[in-house]
Amino acid sequence: MGAVYLLTLRQLSGRWRILIMTVLAAMPVIFAVLTLRSKDAPSVMEFEVAVLSAMLAGSIAPLVVLAIAAAAFANEVEDRTIANLTLSPIPRWHIVVPKLLAAITLAGPFIVVSALLTAHVSFLGDATATIAVTVSALAGVALYASAFVWLGLVTTQAIGIGLLYIVLWEGFFAGFVSGARLLSIRHYAIALMHGMDERRFALAEHLSLGAAIVTSIVVFAGFLLLSVRRLRRMDIP
Amino acid sequence: MSGTPAPVIRVDGVSRWFGSVVAVSDVTFDVAPGITGLLGPNGAGKTTLLRMMTGQAATSSGTLTVFGQPVRDNPPLYRRLGVMSEHETVYGFMTGRDFVRMMGRLRGVPALEDAVDRAIDLVDLADAQHRPMDTYSRGMRQRMRLAATLVHDPDILILDEPLNGADPRQRVHFQHLLRQLAADGRTIVLSSHILEEVEQLAETVLLIVNGKLAASGGFRAIRAALNQRPYHVRVMCDSPRKLAAAIVSLGSVDAVNIDPDGAIVVLSRNVLDLQIELPRLAQSAGISLRRVEPLDDSLESVFGYLVEG
Repeated sequence: MGAVYLLTLRQLSGRWRILIMTVLAAMPVIFAVLTLRSKDAPSVMEFEVAVLSAMLAGSIAPLVVLAIAAAAFANEVEDRTIANLTLSPIPRWHIVVPKLLAAITLAGPFIVVSALLTAHVSFLGDATATIAVTVSALAGVALYASAFVWLGLVTTQAIGIGLLYIVLWEGFFAGFVSGARLLSIRHYAIALMHGMDERRFALAEHLSLGAAIVTSIVVFAGFLLLSVRRLRRMDIP
Repeated sequence: MSGTPAPVIRVDGVSRWFGSVVAVSDVTFDVAPGITGLLGPNGAGKTTLLRMMTGQAATSSGTLTVFGQPVRDNPPLYRRLGVMSEHETVYGFMTGRDFVRMMGRLRGVPALEDAVDRAIDLVDLADAQHRPMDTYSRGMRQRMRLAATLVHDPDILILDEPLNGADPRQRVHFQHLLRQLAADGRTIVLSSHILEEVEQLAETVLLIVNGKLAASGGFRAIRAALNQRPYHVRVMCDSPRKLAAAIVSLGSVDAVNIDPDGAIVVLSRNVLDLQIELPRLAQSAGISLRRVEPLDDSLESVFGYLVEG
């Protein structure tokens, strides 16, 4: 699996991609520093809704992961180098898992560091809140990565479809229709954050911590299995 | 040893369609050790057939086995396959050696570095092995891809248009290498749309036209079968009636008609004979030929091969 992992890391770590991810990941931190220094600093609730939920969990994390995870297979399918892997005498999950891990390895640090710094600055070093934000950000990266790796295997339009999912489904429908949140990775991540620090982030409409953990595991494993299944059944170009 | 060697690859009634397009239609053949050429024009279905033979594409109907096992979704079997696709894309950021090493690692090659040395030496690229592959010429990339295909010493080699981009010297080297590998008992299937490539290498030929197996067997038999295949040819000249009368005298011509626009349509069973005799007849009768073209689309490419040959 190491060969596929290292190959994917190298494929995904282009200079421009890293630069864009760095800029995106820095935005919440900069925003937190600037707003907290202003006279009209937002309340915790306002900050959580505007920056942590909307900006970090709702936009930056999924966009960064989409750009990386969707390319994990899509680039190989497009370049038609994927047969180098699929013609190897190894189980298909030995291809999918390292690709997924490479996507998480690459996207994770950007989002996790961004979440850690943003929370640390915003909550004045409150360890519980910082851990809640950071862990939920990492969980969000893993969940989005699992979903978008699968998407990159299923369609050549993964970026477009992924954007529609992030903007329309999670950003729009899930904001109005509570049932839509059951199919929203963003809301699983936010529910984890709320569950880990109810004192600070208590919002009744979200999943409980237990339900969020179970749902997250099911979604992560589900997309992983779907990717393995897809790789076994698809026609390799 | 006696009789025909057991088939290594068995293709039995295999079809593949994409929506309403039939890429491969009810193809049946066996492949034994040695070099087998898959010959056909571009778009004939060769690549689709090869992808099914390597398990990379599903069949719509029929069965396909390698060493008696289904090849689709059977990774352990891939250890015995060496496949070089027609796509020339490589991991440009990798050195040639790193690429061959990675392929060897993925295929579980023991004594990896020795195997990598051996494979790179086989394709005569030791001098360039430490350069990134995006600095390679097209021919070098093909050779390094071949090294990666050979690194695990597979029993079967399936090569799709392997000589694309090779210069004459590389072609000779490649042909020598393939003959050597076949002599060692390997089964090699190589596809090409160029008759001469297959003629120089393959003991057995499978001719694919429009997704169907048009002919199979020894190369001479295939060539004879192609030559005797009836086809229509349209001939434009400055004296159609005179030339038509001369063409009728050819033994291989079944019918000659003159269209209202003055073109002669010849139905022949021997393209080589017509190819040789037509200019001779025209010259001896003092007639200028303006245009000679096949009319039957499905045979156009076959005609092209034979003219080239």
